[in-house]
Amino acid sequence: MRALAGGTELVPLMRDHLVEAEMLVELREVVPRGIEGTRIGAGTTLAELEVDPQIPKALREACRLAASPQIRSMGTIGGNLLQATRCWYWRLKFPCWLHGGERCLAKAGAHREHAVFGNERCASAHPSDPAAALVALGARLRTSERELAVEDLYRLPTDDDRATVTLGPGELILELDVPAPEASTYLKAMDRKAFSFPLVGVAAARTGGETRIALSGVAPIPWKLDSLDEATPLPGTAFKLEIARALVDRALAEVGA
Amino acid sequence: MPSLQINGQAHEVDAAVGRTLAETLREDLGLTGTKVACGEGHCGACTVRIDGVPMLSCITLVHTVEGREVTTIEGLRDHPLVEAFVKADALQCGFCTPGQIVSASALVEAVPEPTREEIRHAMAGNLCRCAAYPNIEEAVLAWQG
Amino acid sequence: MARLIKTEKEVEGNYSETWVVVEEDALDQWPAGPLTTVGREATRVDGAERAGGEALYTADLTFPGMLHVAVLRSPYSRARVRSLDLAPALEASGVRGVLGPGDVDALTDEPGYVGAPVAAVAADTDVQARAAVESISVEWELEEPLVDPDEAVEQKAFLREPRRYERGDLDRALSEADVVVEAEYRTQVALHNCMEPHGAVCRWVGDTLEVYISTQFIWGVRSDVAEALGLPEDRVRVVCEFMGGGFGSKNGPREHTYVAAELAKRTGRAVRCFNDRREENLDAGNRNATIQRLVAGARADGTLTALGGEFVNAVGFRGFSASTSGPMQMLYACANVRTTEYGTKLNVPPNAAFRAPGFVEGTFGLECLLDELAAKLEVDPLELRRKNHADSDLLDDRPFSSKNLLDCYRRAEPHWERRHDVRARTEGPWKRGVGLASQIWYGGGGPPSYAWVRVGSDGRVTVVTAMQDIGTGTRTAMAQIAAEELGVPLERVRVELGDSARGPYASISAGSSTTPSMGPAVRAAAADAARQIVEIAAQRYDLEQRVLSLKDGNVVSANGGSWSLEEVTGLLEDGQILGKGARGPNPTGMRVLTFGVQVAEVAVDVETGEIRVERVAAIHDVGRIINPLGARSQIEGGIIQAVGYALTEQRIDDPATGIPLTRTLDAYKVPTIADVPEIVAEFIDVPDEHLTNLGSKGLGEPPIIPTAAAIANAIRDATGADVHSLPITREEMLRALREARERSRDEVAAPTT
Repeated sequence: MRALAGGTELVPLMRDHLVEAEMLVELREVVPRGIEGTRIGAGTTLAELEVDPQIPKALREACRLAASPQIRSMGTIGGNLLQATRCWYWRLKFPCWLHGGERCLAKAGAHREHAVFGNERCASAHPSDPAAALVALGARLRTSERELAVEDLYRLPTDDDRATVTLGPGELILELDVPAPEASTYLKAMDRKAFSFPLVGVAAARTGGETRIALSGVAPIPWKLDSLDEATPLPGTAFKLEIARALVDRALAEVGA
Repeated sequence: MPSLQINGQAHEVDAAVGRTLAETLREDLGLTGTKVACGEGHCGACTVRIDGVPMLSCITLVHTVEGREVTTIEGLRDHPLVEAFVKADALQCGFCTPGQIVSASALVEAVPEPTREEIRHAMAGNLCRCAAYPNIEEAVLAWQG
Repeated sequence: MARLIKTEKEVEGNYSETWVVVEEDALDQWPAGPLTTVGREATRVDGAERAGGEALYTADLTFPGMLHVAVLRSPYSRARVRSLDLAPALEASGVRGVLGPGDVDALTDEPGYVGAPVAAVAADTDVQARAAVESISVEWELEEPLVDPDEAVEQKAFLREPRRYERGDLDRALSEADVVVEAEYRTQVALHNCMEPHGAVCRWVGDTLEVYISTQFIWGVRSDVAEALGLPEDRVRVVCEFMGGGFGSKNGPREHTYVAAELAKRTGRAVRCFNDRREENLDAGNRNATIQRLVAGARADGTLTALGGEFVNAVGFRGFSASTSGPMQMLYACANVRTTEYGTKLNVPPNAAFRAPGFVEGTFGLECLLDELAAKLEVDPLELRRKNHADSDLLDDRPFSSKNLLDCYRRAEPHWERRHDVRARTEGPWKRGVGLASQIWYGGGGPPSYAWVRVGSDGRVTVVTAMQDIGTGTRTAMAQIAAEELGVPLERVRVELGDSARGPYASISAGSSTTPSMGPAVRAAAADAARQIVEIAAQRYDLEQRVLSLKDGNVVSANGGSWSLEEVTGLLEDGQILGKGARGPNPTGMRVLTFGVQVAEVAVDVETGEIRVERVAAIHDVGRIINPLGARSQIEGGIIQAVGYALTEQRIDDPATGIPLTRTLDAYKVPTIADVPEIVAEFIDVPDEHLTNLGSKGLGEPPIIPTAAAIANAIRDATGADVHSLPITREEMLRALREARERSRDEVAAPTT
């Protein structure tokens, strides 16, 4: 059984047999949609977030720069957080580590779109722009079972558990609470000028003297940044660090850190 | 047996659960103006409007469209954009063009006089391999004739 | 009175001799400049049909009971099928036919590349066909693939003998040169990714095979299929009225046609065999990767004295070795040239012609090298091109039928002049610069091509020919030509095309050859019809033919008489005027080529490696322009495709196995509307007075050729960084910037002697 919201992720995954489902449960009537103060229903689309001036800039920009207009109108923020990686080895069903195999094929293979952090076992990159923004903003999620910080939705996959998401079976994301920062931004480096997953996306949010930074496209999960020096780039992903350095500096300057 | 509203007309379709709106439009209803070029949401050729909003029919399950208004290119044949595209030579092979016009029709409804920036932002999800883009931009700028 | 003569015909730079029947009275060309219809902007005659979604492409066609095919393709670069069990597929739900290796030549049990077709299943629905293919069990015996082109050269794994060319004495010229530059350039595999995938629908009607196919060459498909199936050609009908892009990849029948034809025969039903987008990214042809090791030498005054190159074309398991060395041999008046070109056979998907094959890749290398030479010589890059202009063809020492490249350079000057202002507009990390590149290509077309022009008693005109319009607007151009010759408004002219059963032979739509091949045939047919109309009018109004002409929808006489065309043709009642025309010979002893120059302005963010192509000015010399509106669209389309080729497009393969990894339109990045620069297109628009009754050359390919080099040269101008490989991704740009910084640090640290 699978939950279906916008379908922009699930339908292609099902047609590729990367996901099998005997039954689809439509969430449109079940999951809240809409924006009220700092609370955002998980069924709210990226297009709705993109144009709402109440939404902090980092999240608005991350939505605006994500995907294509059609996908933004179909895709929900809840679903966007749960996107699978675009790693070609994973998507083409190579017997890679993330699929339960023995080793990460990207590491010795073609990996220009892959990770510079958290890539010990798996070098896949998390493709969601809004997820990085939400981590930087310190957003919290309410699911059908618990409340948690958005970064706790994710975990680095391990040998005994290759999942990158901590949701339990049947657990649904219902609502987000996104506190308003004093300043925030999202800067994105991508291969063409639009309609591309992030090579590196940098979200920064400052409240008072504290600035949080999170990156998309650089790790198997949205990466809350402590230091760029902690990076463990692959030969073909070192360039992402150079870009990250420049974008982090610019983001910090923009939010007045 | 979902009942669909397509271009203002009701259609009963007999569709399996995994069937997409694009397949239903093209194969069951003979509405071949909506093209499938990638089948996975990456190119925009299959764009239709659902309740007025441009969406990708190739990854929309037809069962989720019941009770919503679907507009395809066939429902936009008299829209001034069609003539505007021809006048501006905003097409070459024409395979992506219905999707372009559907996306553009939503834009000009919301913003009757869009800027180049707004056009580029609204149309970035419609790929054109012939790259008729400059004229597509001109067509949308001049759509009112 | 018809005569049979031998003439030279060129497609994509491949020359062949062909016999052609010519009518004696050749038409004089029209005067230069815009006429009544020709030379004026015309919107596409089929534009509303395409835009409004009414046009039926091959992918839209359905027939009663039509079956759908799914193809089992090799997942390995090199393998042998040890065993193949088709039984589960035969028993699967909805399956009506199954083919394996040996059933048609297109299916193989020794696949030599990922994607090679092995088996095919026809079923009632697409879903059933795919499920049936999944159920086929195959035992593969893997073999070691050869995927590295340099290794292939070492092993002499070639698709043809290496091509060697030499004039003068390169080694001596290099030793005597004042300045020598040497560099290695690499270009990537690019994929056509036409919006309409490859495919065909076949059905047998009696003993005739009908092939509905998305194609660039109706007649080529007809003859290839007839030969392969052992049929007389008139038992094969090929239809393509609307097709969704080719760019060179749809020049022949391909496996879809043969698989569909065979399954249609076995099942008695119409059969549809189409690629999905994944297959388009796998086995639908490609522009192969190249490695170019080049050297250039010049005198201090900028005279090019030496050009040499070793070109490795990573062609693939099959395919052809495109002329990457052509630009180096042809573009400049250099006395000493030596090129060696290898067409390597590799276990990678076969290449296919892709918009100026070989010349796009080769012009990138050559024009970047020339700019590096200009920098070392401290000569202005435009001046360097001008100084080494070739006044006649250097390959055979023939004159050009027409060449206005010096005019192109002159008209490029104001765009080139902008570089001072552009460079000054540096903002923070964004550095700006301007670069140019020059190009040469073919585009003269040739016989045979035929057209009929039918004028009914209502004075309306129909052009009939079994050609295809692949999106370039050639249908409209043919209507314009007929309208001009018959002196009628464009709205009165229809063009019937796309069906080999309903119209005479028409040329391929590739190699920039449709307009120069079909156009003159259409004009000749229209002229034949016009002559007959004049004969009728002369008899009816008792005037001499020589005082009568057709103008503005009327028959007019030199002394003021005027009758509407309908009045004259109305005399026919049920009768019709039938004009016929053929493409005449090419000019003898001359080289028919096209020329141009582009100037690109770029901005580079030197901290992130982001590149913005802000403006491209393009000046092209392609003879008389039939439709300035359509011509500009070709320029824009070619340039934007080139921007994708230069910056974002690449097929990425797993290095160990050669397996292609970019199979989708999100992984393979073609330009979006947001990636488009400002484009300024200019045409010389001077008829080639030696070439046919039109003086027009083709222009589908010229605009894609010089752009990548112009962009790379602009990047060097902006940042001092030398880019040597395509695409210029972030990582390549950052690498080049780093190398430039290190170079200038070394230059500061170590003073030159």
